[in-house]
Parts: sequence; C-alpha cells; structure tokens
Amino acid sequence: MQTTVRRYMPLISLGAATVVLAVLPKTGVPQAWLLYLFYFFLFLAAANMWNLLAGYSGLLALCPAAFIGLAGYTMTILTWLDIPFYVGIIAGGAAAALFAAIISPSVFRMKGVYFAIGTLVVPEILRLVFLRWRPVGGELHGGGAGYMVKGMSGVTAEHRYWLALAIGVASIIVIGIILRSKFGLGLAAIRDNDATAASAGIDVFRLKLYSFVIGAFVTGIAGAIFYSHQGYIEPSAGFHIKWLMTALLATVIGGKGIEGGPLVGTIIVVILHFQLARYGELSLLIQGIILVIMMLAAPQGIMGLVRDVRKTGGVRALLRSVSRGRIKARQV
Amino acid sequence: MESLADLASPITIGVLLGGLYVVIALGLSLVFGVMKVINVAHGDLVILGSYLAFVASTSWGLDPILSLVVGIPLFFIMGIFIEKFLLHRAFRMSVDAALIVTFGISLIIQNGAQLVWTPLSRGLMTSYTLESLKIGDVYLPLVYLVDFVMAVVVVLAVHQFLKRTYLGQAITAASQDSQTAELMGINPARVYQIAFGIAMALAAIAGVSLALTFPFTPKSGVPFLIIAFGVIILGGLGSMVGTFIGGMIFGLSQTLGGHFWGPTGQLLVPFVMVLVVLTIRPQGLFGR
Amino acid sequence: MSEEVLLRVSNIDVFYGSAQVLWDVSLEVRSGEIVAIAGANGAGKSTLLKTISGVIHPAKGSIEFAGRNITNLNAYDIVAQGISQVPEGRRLFPEMTVLQNLMIGSYNGKARAKREENLTRVHELFPVLKERKNQLAKTLSGGEQQMVAIGRGLMSNPRVMIIDEMSLGLSPLIASDLFRVLHEIRARGITVLLVEQNVWQTLHEADRGYIIETGRIVLSGNALELCEEEEVRDAYFGV
Repeated sequence: MQTTVRRYMPLISLGAATVVLAVLPKTGVPQAWLLYLFYFFLFLAAANMWNLLAGYSGLLALCPAAFIGLAGYTMTILTWLDIPFYVGIIAGGAAAALFAAIISPSVFRMKGVYFAIGTLVVPEILRLVFLRWRPVGGELHGGGAGYMVKGMSGVTAEHRYWLALAIGVASIIVIGIILRSKFGLGLAAIRDNDATAASAGIDVFRLKLYSFVIGAFVTGIAGAIFYSHQGYIEPSAGFHIKWLMTALLATVIGGKGIEGGPLVGTIIVVILHFQLARYGELSLLIQGIILVIMMLAAPQGIMGLVRDVRKTGGVRALLRSVSRGRIKARQV
Repeated sequence: MESLADLASPITIGVLLGGLYVVIALGLSLVFGVMKVINVAHGDLVILGSYLAFVASTSWGLDPILSLVVGIPLFFIMGIFIEKFLLHRAFRMSVDAALIVTFGISLIIQNGAQLVWTPLSRGLMTSYTLESLKIGDVYLPLVYLVDFVMAVVVVLAVHQFLKRTYLGQAITAASQDSQTAELMGINPARVYQIAFGIAMALAAIAGVSLALTFPFTPKSGVPFLIIAFGVIILGGLGSMVGTFIGGMIFGLSQTLGGHFWGPTGQLLVPFVMVLVVLTIRPQGLFGR
Repeated sequence: MSEEVLLRVSNIDVFYGSAQVLWDVSLEVRSGEIVAIAGANGAGKSTLLKTISGVIHPAKGSIEFAGRNITNLNAYDIVAQGISQVPEGRRLFPEMTVLQNLMIGSYNGKARAKREENLTRVHELFPVLKERKNQLAKTLSGGEQQMVAIGRGLMSNPRVMIIDEMSLGLSPLIASDLFRVLHEIRARGITVLLVEQNVWQTLHEADRGYIIETGRIVLSGNALELCEEEEVRDAYFGV
C-alpha cells in the first residue's frame, strides 16, 4: 500500500495543486497573483515543450516563436470571422502543429547546428510574411500590421486564468506520459545518437516528427491563450525572439533533459520577468547574462545539481568528486 | 514589364554588396570550420563594430576606416577573451552548449548596445558616402565599391595567412582533424582562441563597411547572421571562391528582392534562400 | 645500438571513464631500437600508444622520456619533447596537399629550423611524394597515404617515432616496402616503436617485442625468440 502511494505521489501532488490553483481566483487573492500565475502557466507550457524538443529529442529548435505567433494569428483572425476565441485557441494549436508537420521534412534534413540556425530563420520569415500579408481586411492596429482580437467581451480574466492553468497542467501531463512510454524510450535513444538509434530499428524521423508536432501544438495553444489575453497581435511581438528566450532560459536554469527542470526554471523566469519588467532592455540583458553564467557554471541546471548531489551522497561529496575528476584518465 | 536595363542598378549593387557579406561570412566561417560552432552573436558583433566606427567618427572625428587601426586589435583581443573565458568552457561540454552561450552573448550585446546607444537608427557620413559614380545609366554609390575593394583585400589577406603561415595552416589542420592536429604539436585551445580573435577582427572590418553602407540599429545583427550563414552554406566551407560567389548571390537576392517586393522582400528572399539551401544542398555549391 | 633507455613506461593503469583497459603495463624502448608491441585487435595496443602520446593520461604509473617525466603532459607538448606519432588509419588532413601535410608536421619549434633538411630526407625515402606534392591527401592510395603519414612524422624531427598499425589495409608488398623504410629510419638514428596486429611480420622486423593481451603485457623479449615461443605461435601464427 505504501509503495503504491509513493509511486503515485507526483500524480497526486499534481492533482492537488491543480485543484488548489483552480480554486484560487475565487478565494479573493490579489489580481496581481493571478496575473503572475497566468504567465507562469503559459511559460511553463512553452518551457516543457522546449525541453521535450531540445532536452529529450535532440532537437535544438530555436523556433518556438513561430508556433506562438502562428497560433496567435490563427486565433485572432478566426475571431474576425466570428469564430469564438476558445475555438480559435485550439485551431491555433492545430495550425502550429500543421506548420511543424509541413516544415519537418526539410528541417529534419538539417543536422545539429544547421538545424538550430534553420529553425532560427523560420520565425523571422513568418514575421516578414505577416508584415505584408493581411488575410482579413481591416483596421491596422497602431499603424503596424497587427490585429485586434475580437469577441472578447464577457470574457473575464478568470476564464483566461483557467485556460492558462489547463495548458500548463496539460504540458506536465503530456511530458509525463511521453517519458513513460515507448515513445520516450525511443527519444532517449535518438538524443544520444541518431545513427545508432536508426540502426536499432527506431524510425528516427517519425519520432522526431511526433515530438515536433506535439511541441508545436502545446506551445501554440499557450501562445494563442496569451494573445487572447493581450487583445492584439502584431508580427514583431508574435514572432519575437523573447519567446525562445524564456523557454530556453527556463529550461536551462531548471535543467535540460530533466522532467522537473522546466517547472523549477519557469518559477525563476517568471519572478525575473516581473521584477525586471520596468527595466526594459536591461531585462533581456540580464537574462542573457544569467543564461551565459548558468551554461558555464551549472549547465545541468538546478534540478541537475539536485540530482548530482543525491547521486554522490551530499554536497560535500559532490564538491570533492568534482575537484578530483580533473585528474582522472581523460577520455578520447 | 521590367527591362534588363532597369535591373542594371540592383544587379550591380547586389554583386558589390556580396563583398560586404563575404567579410561578414568569413569570420563566421572561420569559427565554424574550427570549432563546428555557429557564433549566433556574430551579426551582433559586426554591429558592435559599426557602433565603434560610429563613436570614432562622431566623438573623435576619425574616418571610420582609419578607426580600424584601433578597432582591429581591440576586437581581436576581445575575441580571444570571449573564446578563452566564455566559449571554451561551453565548447568542451558540447556544441549545443556553446551555441546557447553564443545566443546569450548575442542578447547581451544587442540589449547592451540598445541601452548605450538607444534604438535610434544610426549611420555614418563621410566625404565618400554621399558620392556616386555614373557608369552608363547606372548610378553606383561609391560606398559599395569601397566595400567590395575592402572585401577583396580582406579575403586575399586571410587566404594568404591561412595558406602561408604556420598558424594559418594550424587553423586549417585543426578544422579538418583536431585530434591529429594535436599530434602535430598544435595546441587546439590556442587555435580556437586565435581563430575567434581573427573572426572578431573581421567583424570589426565588416562593421565599418556596414556602417558606411546602411543605417543600423542594435537589432540589425540577426539578419546579417542569417545571411552570412546562408553565404557560408551556399559557398561551401573552406572555399574562398565559393564564399565570394555565395556572397554575391545573396547580395543579388537582396537587391532584386527589394526591387520587386520592397523592404520586406529585401530580407524575405535571402531568408527563404537560406532555408532552401539548407534543405537541398547543405554542403554548398563548392563544398565537400 | 646504445643501452640508453629513451622511453620508459612504468606500471601504468589506464581507464576509459570507469572501465579499466590497461593493467600494470610496463615497457622500455632503448635508443636506436625497433620495438614492436603486438597483440590481437582490442588488446589495448592503441590505448597504450595514446597514453604515451599524451592523448590519454594514466590513472597510475609513470612515463619517462629521455629522463623527463612526461606522464601528464598534453599531447601537443609531447611532440616538442621528441616523440612523434603516426596515428592509426594515417589520419592525414584530407583537404591539404601532400606538401602541406608534410609541412604541418614541422609545426613544433625545434622542427621548424630543420624543415628543409627533413623535407629533403623525406623525399629521398619516398620519391613519389615529391612528384605528388600538390595532390590533395584524400585522393591518394592507402600506401601513398601511409608514406605521407610517416613522412609527416619525420618532419617533426623526432627522436622516437611511434607508428600505429602501419600495415593495416595495405597489401603485403607495400607493407614490406614500408618495413624496409623503417630500417632506413632507424639507420638515421631514430628509434621506432611499432604497434601491429600483424604479429608475424612485425616480430621479424623488430629487435624486441612485447605481446599484449586484454590490457596486460604477457610476454616480452628479443623479437626472434618471441617468434619461437610456443604460446605466441599458438595464439598468433595459427600453427
């Protein structure tokens, strides 16, 4: 009985936390808290998906902004066609997923660094496309090429909060299921070595495709929810590199390739985001500095450090083995 | 219907623009060849070079090209520092780690530059930036010619360095087989530092070229990174001729794209080309 | 052949990560000798060579060269000491010409001064390399590549040349030619440490030999005497 409880502990905690968080808006907590949590859930979803791609599938995808912007635009444009925004959100996710599927044959042909830069170009191209392309006629927002989100009257902050909560929790569940499935095993093999995995009979392309599409879908939904809150979308914001930055930073700080990493990382990133919000570009500057320091000092992230400490039996033992490790036989 | 004569101007400028792109691409290619890492911050470092030229020009009244006397050694040393203290540690972990670190550096430079110099668009004015040559019916702004000449000089210099000096050959050897290079007595860490230093010096030169030719903002770096990447992929690593031709093709794609589709086309066409090349022929036209 | 011990490996243990691959290995190479290390594939020969060249470092034991402790020196510093390694599979720089490959061999300081002199010697040993000096290394045949690799090793002006699997993938005729070259190299005062799977031929060309099996030295001594040893005949000569 006890081991059963232990095994399901994470799931039980997740369920309990979800219930608590769902009830939160009704308990009269400050609106600001709800806003922080709103951002937290969305960033968490994006970070979890980025971790799925870069941490588990060996896909250093620098294109999350593509999924976010595309989904946001889909949702927004559908509202102009009188389609309710919550349908638009799903459609947005689907659009992002479809896009991922379409570009995958070409981007998966790019290996390693080529893939990274290739995916970096994608949001830039989309940004330029949406600067010129106006799929539905209408008012230019602020002189730019943006769109207002229509049909949002009657939708409260609470509703959007719950949507964000839903996708945040969903992202945790999706990762949890994937990692515990055969799919996850296949991904682990691919992450180590594409060629070896292929020779072991794993359909590398198909597994990467599934990861990519799932990642795009969930990230897209998170993006669409964000823009339903924001109320308008424009190309430079929707496809902005800061979406990559947050997902990447959260994953790196928390621990790339570790299930709980993005969760921990996102907490820190959200705190940073709100504390530094008034400093404008100083905020991004500081995030850049933190990123560099993290990669150099603690590339395995916070959860990685925790794992290392547990493995070697305590902090002191860890420090000792780190210093000794410098003199052991070098591997070629 | 456009006649060829109408296209004469964008074509000429596009070809000459290729020179500027070659210089940008050369720095990127050097580091990529040796360390197999794309320095995501390279475009931003070029812009940093542009800002340096801007400071030299506006605050000290120095001609930008002359300012390279200070700029080149300064950037070279900066490059060695960046490699030695930031990049090398990440590189020893993995190529991905190094890539992420350069991404962080890119953000630092972009936003640092924005803090110092504001998002305002800047440009350089000298006696020659406003002059044009008239060749037939084509008005050729002098700067493009200056850019191209600088590019040829730089490429020749780098080529000779790589071919005729021990250090240059060490860099070439390390790009092809770093383990065996070590057996020749070549210290790979030093090679990486020097290569990165040279790449930075090239960025300084490219920065001056760029500042003379276009207005720039702190965020101007990324498009140049993408185009430079396209140039080295199209031209094929290790081929100077290939890089030049790649540069010209991308220059053309930009000017012709701009001619037909306006400012959006100016970037859209080259960007799409990068993706197409990456998909179809990642080893480039001249590559191995 | 003097009695001076030029290279002394003493009781080294070597690990790949946490897996031990060499146990308590010792050997000596005296000035002017040709010494062979023979053993089956996977016995640890290459690991041993990599440890001597400084690519890997032993967890225990020491390596001395000309009286200096080189155990923990980096590979690129060991070349300067006078040890040159011709790696397994030749490992030429594929996009560099024959001449460029030879020249890069003289990278280290002491070798640069003697560059022209050494180049002449290499051309004497391998005239075909002079003909093909501007040919890209990757277009050469296996035998020619091995010649370049050995030539490149000579360019670093070594006192000891370590050659890893020289005859691998080469026809017996070419391999014989190369063995002859080894004797000429030795005649010029360079000591040779040879590692081979081809136990028979190697022991017939060397002065002394070591037999290595699963990471341990199991036999050592005069090369021809080793050939007579029953264990060696049984294990390696298929008799």
